[in-house]
Amino acid sequence: MKRKPWLGWVMFGVTMLVVFMLGLLVNSVMERRTEALFVNRVLAPVGEFESKNEVWGANYPREYQTYIETADTTFSSKYGGGKMKDMLHEDPRMVVLWAGYAFSKDYNQGRGHFYALEDIYNTLRTGAPKGPQDGPQPASCWVCKSPDVPRMMDKLGIDEFYKQTWAALGPEIVNPIGCADCHDSKTMNLKITRPALIEAFKEQGKDITKATHNEMRSLVCAQCHVEYYFDKKSVEGAVKVKFPWKNGMGVEDMEKYYDGIEFSDFTHALSKAPILKAQHPDYEIHQMGIHGQRGVSCADCHMPYKSEGGQKFTDHKIQSPLNNVANSCQVCHREEEKTLVANVTERQDKIYQIRIELEDQLVKAHIEAKLAWDKGATEAQMKNILQLIRQSQWRWDFTAASHGGSFHAPLETARVITNGLNKAAEARIALGKVLASLGQTGPIQYPDISTKAKAQQFIGLDMAKERANKAEFKKTLLPQWLEQAKKK
Amino acid sequence: MIKILNYLLPPRKWVPFVIVAVGVGTGLFAYLLYVSNAVSYLSDDPKTCVNCHVMTPFYATWQHSSHGRVTTCNDCHVPHNNVFNKYFFKAKDGIYHATVFTWRAEPQVIHIKEAGTDVVQKNCQRCHGDLNANVKTTGVTLESKSHGEGKLCWDCHREVPHGKVNSLSSVPNARVPLLQSPVPEWLQKQTDSTATEKKKETKQTK
Repeated sequence: MKRKPWLGWVMFGVTMLVVFMLGLLVNSVMERRTEALFVNRVLAPVGEFESKNEVWGANYPREYQTYIETADTTFSSKYGGGKMKDMLHEDPRMVVLWAGYAFSKDYNQGRGHFYALEDIYNTLRTGAPKGPQDGPQPASCWVCKSPDVPRMMDKLGIDEFYKQTWAALGPEIVNPIGCADCHDSKTMNLKITRPALIEAFKEQGKDITKATHNEMRSLVCAQCHVEYYFDKKSVEGAVKVKFPWKNGMGVEDMEKYYDGIEFSDFTHALSKAPILKAQHPDYEIHQMGIHGQRGVSCADCHMPYKSEGGQKFTDHKIQSPLNNVANSCQVCHREEEKTLVANVTERQDKIYQIRIELEDQLVKAHIEAKLAWDKGATEAQMKNILQLIRQSQWRWDFTAASHGGSFHAPLETARVITNGLNKAAEARIALGKVLASLGQTGPIQYPDISTKAKAQQFIGLDMAKERANKAEFKKTLLPQWLEQAKKK
Repeated sequence: MIKILNYLLPPRKWVPFVIVAVGVGTGLFAYLLYVSNAVSYLSDDPKTCVNCHVMTPFYATWQHSSHGRVTTCNDCHVPHNNVFNKYFFKAKDGIYHATVFTWRAEPQVIHIKEAGTDVVQKNCQRCHGDLNANVKTTGVTLESKSHGEGKLCWDCHREVPHGKVNSLSSVPNARVPLLQSPVPEWLQKQTDSTATEKKKETKQTK
């Protein structure tokens, strides 16, 4: 070294070169990492609570166009699909089972998300309000219908939102279920926008922010496709949407919760039983079936990848997978389409068969209970019977209200129906004894409920009036709402 | 050995400078490991593979496939006959990938190389041995295929698992776990000024 000074310079040069190259490499790594963030840039910025779906659509034309396709009502499978079906017409027993509740007036098989608002305007269950403070329904009915809901919840505050009537928010809620319901406006990541699901997770001691991406692909659906009830107790004057998940998501867990808070949705017009109305526990039942247990998410089958012009994207035409077997079932199951559809309908047929058997029993139980009251039965005699009817009907509705439950979890669905049949049997045996003690001998006369109209007449609904009121509402108030919304 | 070391040691008055220079080099190297998230490459987590965004299409298509719930990238793409071979292959492959990526030489359509083909084929058989026991092509290796004896699994099962269409631009909107930006937020905001200005203009319309 001392004798060769140039060697020192060589080493200096080499070291400098190494550090320089290292620096270049670091720079390149950082550059390429930054690049990743620009891969998916929103070109036309979307505001945080932007509820207009077409504004989002400008950035994501493929996703938006397939979303618009939820307007397609041509597909009808044996039990489901996107076609509107009058469920009360197909099964008039339901009219009797819901006597004393708005569902007996009108109940249709839902259509695509695109029609969320149109159908809520049309259904007789929302009645015919004449002004903003007019009933019958609270703003809670909007909660699952529109991306305007998170916007208004942010604007008014959650509790204040729940204090409004359905009619009061009519001019504000004008975009059907869409982008902002599930997506973050900046990053487009999946996002929970409804408070009820977050609260339900908290009650179970789970943190929804820890959900994985794959869980989120079901949880965004679980914001609405779940069993819920209207909680009128926790906030004065507000009707909150709440999930009964505190003890778990099984049919008995929820029942225990409802019994604990002494809740019932309505008192049955015939039997006076305190009835629980189940609302589509789709997510819960899916979790109890084999697909849910294997980690298959809602989006895997209802929104599979679609290839178009060499580009793959998530198909936002949310629909029955039976209309898209190739991209849903056949991704995992290498079977003929016909075979797969036959497998599904077989499950549905079998579940439907026992469900109808339970309905027949339940209808008779309600009618016999009414007869017992008419013959002068006492509260004490009826108490246990009404409890059994409540339990039986809860189990029936839990399965009947669910979309696709007989496919999602056939075994669990069958178990629940069987439990329901057992409760109905116990109720009717007890009723037989009560009726005998009140002097009822010989066969009981059951009314003819073979059609929707006959059944509605039997439970004393004035359908003509209901329809006339609805037509009035659609002529007067509804156009005003849409007009006001356009001005904003 | 010691002779050479002595020969290379700097004169006494240079020592402080040399220490500083070596320190700078080492520090920069440590920073490189940090920026490139190097530790993550030891794991089997598929998130690691999308450290480089060119792998996004493959991550997204795998995630949407029948293998998406039951496998990781490494289940198929690195050998599993012994732990040394696994990490040796991983390192070799990783350095190759890193080189291509650094030189911006990634092709629009990435094709698997021979070594990778061999590994994947063996991994198909590792899990699906029971499924294809009666199929004549069982036990086909890359070598036998190249002699015209039989076919590789995906010569028929072409959609598994990434689908037939794959190019760097095939999944424009895939949601994959991207690394956080190395750019601090305040700087991001400055460089993103066009977007923020527009945002001010688009008021909360309805």
